[in-house]
Amino acid sequence: MVGMALTGTPEKIVSARELGIVACTRCTKPWPMGTRTCGRCGHRLVSRDRLSLQRVWAFWTVGLMCYIPANIYPMLKTRTLFQVDESTIIGGAVELAQYGNWGIAFIILFASVAIPLGKFFAVAYLALSVQRGWATSQRQRQYLYEVVEYIGRWSMIDIFVVAILSSLVQLKTLASINPGAASIFFALSVIFTMLAAQAFDSRMIWDAHAKDEGPNRND
Amino acid sequence: MTETPPDVQISPARKMFLSGASVIWLIPILALIVALFVAYRSYSERGPVIVVEFETGAGVAAGETELRFRDVTVGVVEKVGFTSGLDKVTAHIRVEKDVAPYIDSGAVFWVVQPEVTAQGITGLSTVLSGVYIEGAWDRQIGPAATRFQGASTEPLIRPGQGGLEIAFRSTANGDLTDNAPILYRGIEVGRVGYAKIAPQGNYAIVEAIIFEEHRSLINDSTRFWDASGFSVNIGPAGAEIDFSSLATLVGGGITFDTFVSGGTPVSDGTVFEIYPDKETARNSVFNASEVDPLKMSVVFDDNISGLIVGAPVELSGLEIGEVDTLSGLIDRERFGDSRVRLNAILSIQPAHLGLRGDVTAEAALAFLKERVSDGLRARLASASLLTGGLKVEMVMVEDAEEAALVETENGLFIMPTTESDVSDAAATVEGVFTRINKLPIEELLSSAISLMNSAEAFVSSEDLRETPQDVRTLLGELTGLVSSEDVKNVPVALNATLTKVERLVAQLEEERIVERLGGALEGAAEAAESVSSSVEGVPELVEQIKAVAAKAESLEVEELVVALTDLTESADAVIGTDDAVALPGSLKRALDEVNLTLEELREGGAVENVNRTLASARNAADNIALSAKDLPQIVTRLTGLFTQAGRTIEGYDKGEQLSRSAERTLREIQKAAEALASLARTIERNPNSLLLGR
Repeated sequence: MVGMALTGTPEKIVSARELGIVACTRCTKPWPMGTRTCGRCGHRLVSRDRLSLQRVWAFWTVGLMCYIPANIYPMLKTRTLFQVDESTIIGGAVELAQYGNWGIAFIILFASVAIPLGKFFAVAYLALSVQRGWATSQRQRQYLYEVVEYIGRWSMIDIFVVAILSSLVQLKTLASINPGAASIFFALSVIFTMLAAQAFDSRMIWDAHAKDEGPNRND
Repeated sequence: MTETPPDVQISPARKMFLSGASVIWLIPILALIVALFVAYRSYSERGPVIVVEFETGAGVAAGETELRFRDVTVGVVEKVGFTSGLDKVTAHIRVEKDVAPYIDSGAVFWVVQPEVTAQGITGLSTVLSGVYIEGAWDRQIGPAATRFQGASTEPLIRPGQGGLEIAFRSTANGDLTDNAPILYRGIEVGRVGYAKIAPQGNYAIVEAIIFEEHRSLINDSTRFWDASGFSVNIGPAGAEIDFSSLATLVGGGITFDTFVSGGTPVSDGTVFEIYPDKETARNSVFNASEVDPLKMSVVFDDNISGLIVGAPVELSGLEIGEVDTLSGLIDRERFGDSRVRLNAILSIQPAHLGLRGDVTAEAALAFLKERVSDGLRARLASASLLTGGLKVEMVMVEDAEEAALVETENGLFIMPTTESDVSDAAATVEGVFTRINKLPIEELLSSAISLMNSAEAFVSSEDLRETPQDVRTLLGELTGLVSSEDVKNVPVALNATLTKVERLVAQLEEERIVERLGGALEGAAEAAESVSSSVEGVPELVEQIKAVAAKAESLEVEELVVALTDLTESADAVIGTDDAVALPGSLKRALDEVNLTLEELREGGAVENVNRTLASARNAADNIALSAKDLPQIVTRLTGLFTQAGRTIEGYDKGEQLSRSAERTLREIQKAAEALASLARTIERNPNSLLLGR
């Protein structure tokens, strides 16, 4: 209570935890604090999942690890009658830009470079802000989290394009497109960033000011 | 009593490391392990980089150009650069690890690119895919190497390829074609590489490979010959053009055959000769197997052109070698003068000598040494009469000067020589000229000149010059001869006779007898007319006429006629005299005499007489001609006379007797005249006939 008063935020946002309520994360039914399992769906009730941050970082790390080879190895293997062309994501975009296709180059760079990188930064920022209890706007962070969650799946558009092209363009010796090694790493990278975003317990955003209360209140 | 034990300092339980860590961290750890594993594997599987240097880039591109071994990709060019100094292009090739150990120092590399040759098109696939680097190495792992020299063309013999590696040596007049196929019964069983000139420069040598499966076709009695081009034979069976195949026609080729059985297999590195044609190749088989030739030097004193490199060296008519090289030799010390001598290096094949036992150069040398001491000498001899080519002949010379094989400082033995036996066409011609030269032409000419001189002297001698004069004299004498009585009288007598006749006729004319007779007859006719006009007095008139006629009868016509007859008869007699008839005969005789005289003259040399004789003969001839010219006039006169006489006599037609005798007379006169005419004509036509008697 005292702590709450100390925060002195003009807009008083009261969290469920402060009200002694814990909500079921599966069926959203609120229960009084201390209830072990959800009486409705049987899901384990946790007010704050402090381990989620570890999961976030773990997935984030794997995602980043996968993102490096995804940019080093070729994404597409285009084999025509006379030559085999292997292009990486950035290399392909640069090539397109050199040919004057600025629009497509921008889309590729945006979808395959800017968004994944933004996600890494966003997730890392959220996790750090929770860990360190940065006093940044909780609403903005919540909004950022929602954007990250929403946009994450669209990163898979690259993988779709590669999958569709390589399944459609198989004209034997004349021409064929095969996914390069980077496509797998890129897909893994996207999967792990999504997992990292999912693993983040957004409820912790609202506890940032109460970190001095100690980790004991985790449960 | 409740003594409490002293406070035990309780330190908070040490927080377990990672106690608060979630198992989720296993995932990144696993990912890390996988990544590291993959990285390690890819690194460990990565082969080494080799550097191949090429003369030109030839389309080699980094990251694209592959290195292939047996047409399988075993590496990729990672970088294309230059050697320091930009001398060569370097291709850095990342090769597969499992292949890399085999790429040892014996490996060869070349760039495969499309190539169109007479033998066909190769590397067509590279037109589309771009060039690639083909490598070849053997199956043994040798000392490792990372830097290689790339070839610009496919090497003939690839390492580890197998096959029989042989070499060909071109003969003096044979030639070699690069990269030509070796054909056997039209099948390609091998290939020839690129020909090189031997270090000595005296022949070309070329590597060749017989493919492994055809190795058994080659043994040491196999003979190879050049099958390129075509040969044209014109023989009794007609013209024949022969060429192996279109490819060999264009690009050349080598074929072979083993003409005799029983050869032993050959090993790699055997050198075969390439013969220019099948015949030569076949013939070479039947020569004994050749060994290293014995080189010998022969110094000929007489420099006769015609000896060429490759000219045969014969011993007793058997070819035992050939002339290897020819050069001039000046050695003042050895010969005592600085004349250029012909130094021929002979290459004698010991196998052709028919030696017993060892057939080696040493044995041949020993044999020749022995023979030289017996009198064997080398000499130049004509090999062909037509071309004037020479050969070196070794002959036994009876009672030759002592000589031996002398070894020079460069290890060659010098064969002693003897006089050349050059009997070629040029030499024969030379001999003919020599013989002509030896003829005593000078003497002949001088005697001819002296002959001409004497002839000239003879011609220009006084005696000879006077010959025409003599001839003239001779003719003069002839004239004299002709103008001898017998001859001269003929025309004179004729003239006289004719003059008489003329005079007689003229007399007749003068007397105008005929006219008077005519007048009388006219008068009689008038009288008769007048008689007929006045019938009276006719009988008297007739009487008168009768009287007149009687009177006329009493005229001396008869005498005239008789005289005429006599005249003609005498003329006839003149003409018909034996002398006249014999005139030609005497002429002939005279001419014979002339001939005799001339002969005598010729013999006696009295030419003046001849001259004179000829002059007189000429005169005589002129006279005769003149006389003959007169003859026609006489004849015409005579004719006129006789015509008149004829007419006169016609007037006496009354008297039969008269007319008959007159007619006879006239006919005789006519005959005489004709005879004269013919004589005259003959003389006129050919006055010489008088001289020549014909």
